[in-house]
Amino acid sequence: MITMQKIRKIYRTEHVETHALDSFDLEVRAGEFISIMGPSGSGKTTLLNLVGLLDSFDNGSYMLDGEDATTLSDRQMSRIRNLKIGFIFQTFNLIPDLNVFDNIDVPLRYRGMPAKQRRAAIEEALSIVGLRSRKKHLPSQLSGGQQQRVAVARAIVGRPKLILADEPTGNLDSTMANDIMDLLEKINEQGTTVAMVTHDPDLAHRAPRQIHLLDGSLIDLEIQDKHVPLIAAMPTSANC
Amino acid sequence: MFTYQLRLAFKSLRRNPVLSTLMVVAIGLGIAVSTASVTIYYIYSGNPIPDKSNVLFHVELDNWHPDRPFNRDHPERAPFQITYRDAMALMQSEIPAYQNAAFRTELMVFPDGGERRPYREVVRMCFADFFMMFDVPFQYGGGWTDTADQAPEPVIVIDSTTNQQLFGGINSVGRSIKIEDRYFTIIGVLAEWHPTPKHYDPTNNAFSEPEAMYMPLNFTPIFESTSRGNTWGWADESIDTYGDYLQSELLWIQMWVQLDDETQKQAYQDFLDAYVLEQKKRGRFDRPLNNRLLDVMTMLKELEVVPDTTKSQLVVSLLFLVVCAINLVGILLGKFLGRAPEIGVRRALGASRRSVFIQHLIECEVIGVFGGSLGLALSVMVLDAINRMLANGEQLHLDLNMVGAGLLLSLVAGLIAGIYPSWRICKVAPAVHLKMQ
Repeated sequence: MITMQKIRKIYRTEHVETHALDSFDLEVRAGEFISIMGPSGSGKTTLLNLVGLLDSFDNGSYMLDGEDATTLSDRQMSRIRNLKIGFIFQTFNLIPDLNVFDNIDVPLRYRGMPAKQRRAAIEEALSIVGLRSRKKHLPSQLSGGQQQRVAVARAIVGRPKLILADEPTGNLDSTMANDIMDLLEKINEQGTTVAMVTHDPDLAHRAPRQIHLLDGSLIDLEIQDKHVPLIAAMPTSANC
Repeated sequence: MFTYQLRLAFKSLRRNPVLSTLMVVAIGLGIAVSTASVTIYYIYSGNPIPDKSNVLFHVELDNWHPDRPFNRDHPERAPFQITYRDAMALMQSEIPAYQNAAFRTELMVFPDGGERRPYREVVRMCFADFFMMFDVPFQYGGGWTDTADQAPEPVIVIDSTTNQQLFGGINSVGRSIKIEDRYFTIIGVLAEWHPTPKHYDPTNNAFSEPEAMYMPLNFTPIFESTSRGNTWGWADESIDTYGDYLQSELLWIQMWVQLDDETQKQAYQDFLDAYVLEQKKRGRFDRPLNNRLLDVMTMLKELEVVPDTTKSQLVVSLLFLVVCAINLVGILLGKFLGRAPEIGVRRALGASRRSVFIQHLIECEVIGVFGGSLGLALSVMVLDAINRMLANGEQLHLDLNMVGAGLLLSLVAGLIAGIYPSWRICKVAPAVHLKMQ
């Protein structure tokens, strides 16, 4: 699903260069559930942004589901994000003046799907996250946990192959966090690849595979082969 | 997708109604001023008689000072009017389909019944063909005949306003009206008629209303009428009697002919040249032979009927609209960039830069269209005020073309205001803003 080789990402300001990722290699197979851990500034979100085609890298190669990310135009990347990737963010990132239904509708709108199909897909996603009764509510009328479930519904409504979750439980209490993890596991069981950034070791350990980042390099690899055969995540930096 | 983006635009505008209203008003003011100016220019420069403008010809004979042209900037041009005696001679031609010599004068009108006091009225002295060649519309009756021209018979055509004032608007054909010292029989009442510009006599304020009354020009010597319009002269001649006035080289008659094809036109041109060559033998027309037949639009252009100030106003008003639109650039930029986190989310969910750009441009165009609608309503008021100020009747008004032009301008204004902010917001890097929500 994801093959990254010698990825380098440098953030530049006028006077400072920050190496967010350096000679980073990663391979994730379809259907895996990986958790990404590491201290603040270690490059977790940067990695997720690169994987999600939300940011560009300076060096290296990246194949996403068989497509070479280095050759894609903005339109092609947008299309891939729309069709193949679902995003879940720590701060939910719901659009405040759209109700639950319309928030979940956003990715389908960019897909150009007919209204009837959109409606059916949204109803199904709402059923999965248990919020069918709240579809007319605005995000401000929902609890944090409900908002994150709406975000999950929005991420899965287009049946993506890959879910990228950036600290999806960071703003939730433990009960709600477990609910969201249950949802992600359920989604993964249906064959969707899930990559989740988290600070919570307990939640991270629920993923079959954990990746640890420090200063832009992969420094640890822990594999718990629950769902898929052995995967390869080969660190190539000198730190490994 | 378009309806979705339109819906998003309305949502965005409702999010901050005060700011949205301000932007709409800004565009509205720009549209009001520019549409009013465009309308004035459009009407002033329009073709007043499109069906016949290429077969109606203004007759010009270069009877001016032997040593200097009538127009120093354009020495090839001849005077726009001709002398009375030349007009009478040219009216003898049988070549044109229609021909008319005319001028504007003022005569005393004595209303019947003594309720209204006698008053001076603007009268057009003309020939029977005037009504046919200029497609003058009638409410009641019609024009007079060639026989009435020759006699002349005391017949008169009045406009609808005069008919309303003197006869309460009823069919007054057959009624009499006293002009100067004799009674005239009304044979026609004009329907509403506002040729703009007033092509048949643009030398005397091309944007004034047509005359209230029309009578055979052959009453001119009887009433000893003189022109109440522009009169040009160059010759050092003594004019002691009315007969001297009619025989003088003063130019005060407008001459028009209708020539339906090239053959007819060439024949009439030959006729004019022969006439002037004959006059040269009699010591007149000392300038080189320069007899001109100008169609309606060429004549209006040469006369510079559209004042330079109108053109300047048009440019200034369009610049004003551009300034209004540019002022919105900053407001829209701030508004759009404030929405960057939402755009980051949309980009993550599959919106391309192009669709983000179009979404925001549509929002700007919605502002433009609302502003345009407000501006069109305001421009109606502006034009109405100008009409009242200039006593123009309803000459300046928005027609469908101008409404279309106003809406087009509002779209252009929306584009000018929105293109840069939309471009900036579509270039926003989504990753930067996703963590900032």
